[in-house]
Amino acid sequence: MSDIIQVEHLTKDYGNGRGIVDISFSVKKGEVFGFVGTNGSGKTTTIRHIMGFLKPEKGKVCLLGLDSWEDSCKIKQFVEYIPGEIAFPDLRTGTEFLKNQAELLSLNDMTYANQLISKLQLDTSANLKRMSKGMKQKTAIVAALMADKEILILDEPTTGLDPLMRETFLEIIKEEKNKGKTILMSSQLFDELEQTCDRVALILNGKIVDIADIHKLKNPTSRMYKIEFKHEKDYLNFKLKKFKIVRDQPQYNQVTVKISLAKLNYLFNILQNYNVKFISEVKQNLEKYFKEVLASQIKLQAKQNKQSIKMLKDNEKIEGGNYDK
Amino acid sequence: MINRALFKQSCKANWVKWLSVTVATCAMLAIVIIVLGNLAINDIRDSLKDVFAQADEQSYLKENSVDFYELYLTSTEVSNETLSSTLVVFDQYEMAKQQYEQASGTKPEGEVLTSIQNQVAIAFSSQFAPMLEGTEFTQAQLQMIVTNCLSSYESDKETAKISFQNTIKSILPQIIPNQIAQQAANKALEEGKSEEEIELIKSQTLAISTKAVNSYVSKNYSNADQYSREDFVNDANHYVNSYMYDYIYNMQKSLGAEESVAIQNATAVKVIANTATTTYEFWLNEYKTQEGATEVTDEQKADAKQKACESISDQIPEKVAVALKELGNMDMYSLIIGSIFYKIAGLLLPMVFVIMTANSLIASQVDSGSMAYVLSTPTKRRTVAITQLAYLLLSLFAMFALLTIVSVISVWISGGNSFAINYGEILLLNAGAYLTMFAIAGFCFMCSAIFNRTKYSLSIGGGLTIFALVCTILGLFGSTVVPSAMRISQMNFFNYLSIITLFDVVSILGGTMSYLWKFAILLGIGIITIIIGIFRFDKKDLPL
Repeated sequence: MSDIIQVEHLTKDYGNGRGIVDISFSVKKGEVFGFVGTNGSGKTTTIRHIMGFLKPEKGKVCLLGLDSWEDSCKIKQFVEYIPGEIAFPDLRTGTEFLKNQAELLSLNDMTYANQLISKLQLDTSANLKRMSKGMKQKTAIVAALMADKEILILDEPTTGLDPLMRETFLEIIKEEKNKGKTILMSSQLFDELEQTCDRVALILNGKIVDIADIHKLKNPTSRMYKIEFKHEKDYLNFKLKKFKIVRDQPQYNQVTVKISLAKLNYLFNILQNYNVKFISEVKQNLEKYFKEVLASQIKLQAKQNKQSIKMLKDNEKIEGGNYDK
Repeated sequence: MINRALFKQSCKANWVKWLSVTVATCAMLAIVIIVLGNLAINDIRDSLKDVFAQADEQSYLKENSVDFYELYLTSTEVSNETLSSTLVVFDQYEMAKQQYEQASGTKPEGEVLTSIQNQVAIAFSSQFAPMLEGTEFTQAQLQMIVTNCLSSYESDKETAKISFQNTIKSILPQIIPNQIAQQAANKALEEGKSEEEIELIKSQTLAISTKAVNSYVSKNYSNADQYSREDFVNDANHYVNSYMYDYIYNMQKSLGAEESVAIQNATAVKVIANTATTTYEFWLNEYKTQEGATEVTDEQKADAKQKACESISDQIPEKVAVALKELGNMDMYSLIIGSIFYKIAGLLLPMVFVIMTANSLIASQVDSGSMAYVLSTPTKRRTVAITQLAYLLLSLFAMFALLTIVSVISVWISGGNSFAINYGEILLLNAGAYLTMFAIAGFCFMCSAIFNRTKYSLSIGGGLTIFALVCTILGLFGSTVVPSAMRISQMNFFNYLSIITLFDVVSILGGTMSYLWKFAILLGIGIITIIIGIFRFDKKDLPL
């Protein structure tokens, strides 16, 4: 039972290349799992399956061992959800909405809800319809979190929020994480996922392309340094030293080297003999990491495309040849 | 089954809509029943009805007048014929004498002559016997008269003939009216009239005929050929008019009318009778001059009578007459309250409420995403559907309960059971309207549960509902509740396209039972659509 959320071969085809294909992953207890991807890549569809709002075409989703479609009512006892679109029921004030929500949750103890309200500095007496996006989001957060259940699912919770509000929000997520909640969230922004998540999945066209471990990303075994030399002679000599050169920019006398932590001293020893203009560490982050993944994906696709184009051309040649005869 | 929190939420979200629709519909209904009830909108109908009743009455009076008039003239004619036929006795006597002369070779004289006279008298009087039935005059008396006359005939033929004619004339008033009255009574018996009626006809005929025969006798023709119908026309006309006058005057008096009123009515009838008999005679003369014949056939007489007795409804074209009569029979209250308020005007606002509420209870919440807040709590989808449905049906029920109370009070103010629509009928109308709205609510709920988009839920659920209402409006012009003058029967086609047609107002107000099975169909449609809606919502994908 260490896997709280289990998604196995989940497929839903909406036609026209939309939908999700064969998505599998699992989230352990206490883990924060992120989803990143462009608009329409399938993040929300996956989350709706997890919430039991959509029926899987193939595969299945289990929460705490319960099928989220078959037992969609039971799983709600353990799940709190902040939907991507903020639309409240047709009620007058935030207070009214929260009270109603508490009643739906059979929640009598409002102390945690009040704590959240004061932490978020939320005025619940405001008219629901006239609330700003930030206030609405705060209200939605309170409505979701007040029951204090063990799984938290959030669908693009920070879109449209100002940077300050986003910081407050991420603070809350971290607090929830520290309580031991299992959290699944989607976002279009890499840095907020990097701040909060343990693992992040990249979804592209309905498929999981890669799952990145943030801890590994933050504590790499090798690092990259960009070095610029004053003279071209030093630059050329350095290149002979058999370091792994990731990027070479001869016009500036610049190289970027990738080096394991153990070899770091060796590098600096060598550099003492050169006239170095500057040296700086090139930090790895999620965005860069996924851009690399994407680039390789695109390369791969381009290769496949080229192959298929070549095949097409070959076919044309053959056909053309036949025609000539 | 029902979630209290969600139910409360739905109440809070929709009560303004509910209240405004309920108040507006109740006010409309109260105005329709109370205000129209006091306006006496059936006045025109009643006056139309009166016009036709009067026309029929006049027609009846005219017919009677013409009948009496004809009876008068026929009586004089029959008197004349009878008189001329009695003179045959002298020819018979001459023939008997000749026969004797041929047989014996001698002229009959003395006792022989007397015996011939006796034989002829017996033969003649027995021939005449049937006419004497029911009179004070006996066959023996007639026989005596004939014998006396024949014996005086031998001495002075002309004087004897004249005196015989005078004798017969004097007994005609005793024979002819009796005979004619008997004929009329027999005819009435054949027509299956009641004893009282026959008695009345007999006495009327007897009175008129007696008058006519007396008039004939007083004319004192020296020869039967001198008789002319025209001689008695004025007499007949005058007599029938005064007879009708007396008849009506006496009738009014016996009914307790005032002297002046009785005279007024009797005079009016006298004028009517005069018009009828004059017109009748005019047409008879027209036929005579047209044909160049002296005699008028029975057919022509009937024709002339019909023309003389024409009422308003005969004078205007048949279609217009039928239309006017129908207009007279139309019940404006039933039309306005039943077919227009309960089937169209009163349903419009509840329909708008149902369309909007059904949509906002499910489809709109799924479309906007606010349903996610309900469904992310441990609430079953089926519970959500049933709770929202319960709100829709209960709010609608409350609305119609209030409408029922308002309608019953309005009927009470307008005169209770003496009002054109009684309590039972108004309760059935309300029940029918609720059932119709139940079926529509079921359908709108189903659409709301099936579609994830407000635009589809509204355009299918609301669109078809409004379509049904529009069809009912158009179909009204083809339905039988509208008088035929305004009816276009082809428009009835629209009624087959509308679910509201199953709310059979005509059957409810007409007291027939066919509305019951139509109610059952409405109930069935409501239940089936509700079940489809609940199951579909339970199993479908929700974009939340």
